[in-house]
Amino acid sequence: MASRLVAMTRKEFSQLFRDVPILLILLWAFTGAVYTGGHGISSELHEYPLVVLDLSRGPASRELVSRFRAPYFKIVEYAASDAELVGLLDAGRASVAIVIPPEFERRVGEHAARFQVIVDGTRSTSATIAGAHIARIASELGVELLERPRRDRAATVPQVDARVRVEYNANLVETWFAGLLEVLNQVTMVSMLVATAAMVREREYGTVEHLLVSPLRPAELFAAKVIPVITLVPLAALASVFGIVHAAFGTPIRGSVWLFYGVTVVYVFAMASLGLAIAVVTRNLGQAMMLLLLILYPMLLLSGAFTPPESTGAFMRYASVLSPVSHYVDFGYQVLFKGNGLAYVWRDVAGILVLGVALFGVSVRRFSRLVG
Amino acid sequence: MVGDRILAIARKETRQLLRDPVYLGLAFAVPLLLLLLLGYQLSLDVKGLLVAVVDQDRSPWSRQYIDAFVHSEYFRLVAVLDTEPEAQEWIRSGRARVVLVIPPDFARRLSGHERAVVGVTVDGSFPTRGQIALGYVEAVGALYNEQLLRAYLSKRGGEHAAPLQMDRSVWYNPTLETKNFIVPSMLVLVLMIFPPLLSALLIVRERESGTILNLYSSPAGRWDILAGKALPYVGVSFLDYLLIFAASLWVFRVRFIGSVGVVSAGALLFSICTIGIGLVISALTRTQLAAMMATFLGAVAPAFTFSGVFAPVASDPVSQLVSRLIPATYFMDVVRGNFLKGGGVAGYAPNLLALGVYAVAVYSVAWLVLRKRIG
Repeated sequence: MASRLVAMTRKEFSQLFRDVPILLILLWAFTGAVYTGGHGISSELHEYPLVVLDLSRGPASRELVSRFRAPYFKIVEYAASDAELVGLLDAGRASVAIVIPPEFERRVGEHAARFQVIVDGTRSTSATIAGAHIARIASELGVELLERPRRDRAATVPQVDARVRVEYNANLVETWFAGLLEVLNQVTMVSMLVATAAMVREREYGTVEHLLVSPLRPAELFAAKVIPVITLVPLAALASVFGIVHAAFGTPIRGSVWLFYGVTVVYVFAMASLGLAIAVVTRNLGQAMMLLLLILYPMLLLSGAFTPPESTGAFMRYASVLSPVSHYVDFGYQVLFKGNGLAYVWRDVAGILVLGVALFGVSVRRFSRLVG
Repeated sequence: MVGDRILAIARKETRQLLRDPVYLGLAFAVPLLLLLLLGYQLSLDVKGLLVAVVDQDRSPWSRQYIDAFVHSEYFRLVAVLDTEPEAQEWIRSGRARVVLVIPPDFARRLSGHERAVVGVTVDGSFPTRGQIALGYVEAVGALYNEQLLRAYLSKRGGEHAAPLQMDRSVWYNPTLETKNFIVPSMLVLVLMIFPPLLSALLIVRERESGTILNLYSSPAGRWDILAGKALPYVGVSFLDYLLIFAASLWVFRVRFIGSVGVVSAGALLFSICTIGIGLVISALTRTQLAAMMATFLGAVAPAFTFSGVFAPVASDPVSQLVSRLIPATYFMDVVRGNFLKGGGVAGYAPNLLALGVYAVAVYSVAWLVLRKRIG
């Protein structure tokens, strides 16, 4: 048995190593793609573009405007008219506008000043958060205006100040997160694609008939297809984590590298098995690709990297237990980024392992039945 | 006639497509299923963030403060803990995303008209989520402070309103529903993923099976081959667009205030561009597998990052340049603008023009690389 497996595995390895375009694509996946992907997106809530229409032009309005500053806001324009302001919002150059009415100065003196805020609601979360920042600015300045004339006396207004500290990523640097996510996603995509393709190719070329009449058992055949992927992808992921995410983006790697490597091997096994399962139920690469997209995109987008699990519906919470990607994303951030050990992530590891074995078993069985 | 040769090739491709009904069916079913699944399930709204509280004051004041968090839809209280290290552990294990620490002098300070300080710890391992959590803490805090202020002012007599107030209005998506943002994005996403993957197999498949020699020896020129192969697939992806557009309006009931004609013109031009990108890759690769992976990693993934589908494109010059160089950015502007902002046909002319120029450029490149292979 061992010699059969070795022979088949050797064939798979040499086939992969001879395919220069695939090797180049793999190289790009774990270098260039990670670098551009980590850099490409920005945080939605940073330097929110703001346009100001100040009709009061007094010291009070200037003070209000000066409170809108980095990191949350960036004043892109002082508009001279309503039309200009609307134009900037329409064109998407500004996402929030403040309008300070002419009587603002006088009303501040009477402790009853109002100003108008217009938020572009397209990105609803950002709009909510921007509204929250503005509400805080207004509330703080309002209290200061009340206290100011009576500074000599001790009496102040009762207020709660929140002292905020952010753990693990004090400045909420987006590239730290995005770079790592890109590596995890590449592991997912590449493992599935390469395994699916290795199997579909045999079917399309008709060489699968050769394999069927050979003494090779389905489990051995599938193991031989999976082994090259398991060997190469985790090493590439490790190199990418250190060579790009850590070296180029400065993301701190706090956890155990060996734990990450070991679980990545199991994960690649699971995803490659899923890829094989897809290959078994389809007839050609085109069909396999469509099915792959149907499975891959929901798993990537609902992995918990974009929306926390507690915010999704009950259906998705249960479905994500069945998605190896959700477990792996949670595992990856916990281990590499938070420095957590096995005691924290064993559930994820167990989930990946169980799903991997199940997927492998299912695809081998389906394939055997196809043959028998 | 030149047109005859194009049509002949297009007819052959169509027939081939119809002979694999599973593939053709999947080409329509998968985008629609993705839209239904993600449209309903992918909410970018962060709600019910897990919050743990360390209440060292245990007074009516501190309970009222905690209530302000619990009663907002933004947070869900998971634990009231005794010590700060315990709370840190909850953040570490991911059981809580936010921890509030209320000091023992909280009630004494507030009742004595002083400022009280509350410690807030936020898990920053997912930065966007961390920023949202910070924003929510501010929102709830500002509301609570306003209540304090109002109570204080009414006790002092005279004024009751806050000294500085804002009147907020939300434009373009007044109800702040994520679906108005997600569903149009899905339209762009589907048209950036599927057409290039479909067309990336077209030339390389003939090369793999050897039938490309038939094409080479036929009177069909490079342009005939490209146009003939692109035509049926542009049709498929335009039908995909119509399906998804219809589902957006009638299944998801997304707000649409723009011009159907402009969006359709954009979708047609964008499909022509992305089909062309697939053809370029198909002409350059030797195996279907390589073509598929190159399209996935070289065309689909960058489009995903640099068109601002879910998160805005980074503001550094390189990212901005890349985003200006891909067609998805222009189509995204057209779609998002027409769904939410309206604004007339003329406003979108530059975007449509950019897509047209892009299409010409892509097919010129395809024309050039196809020659190399035949030569």
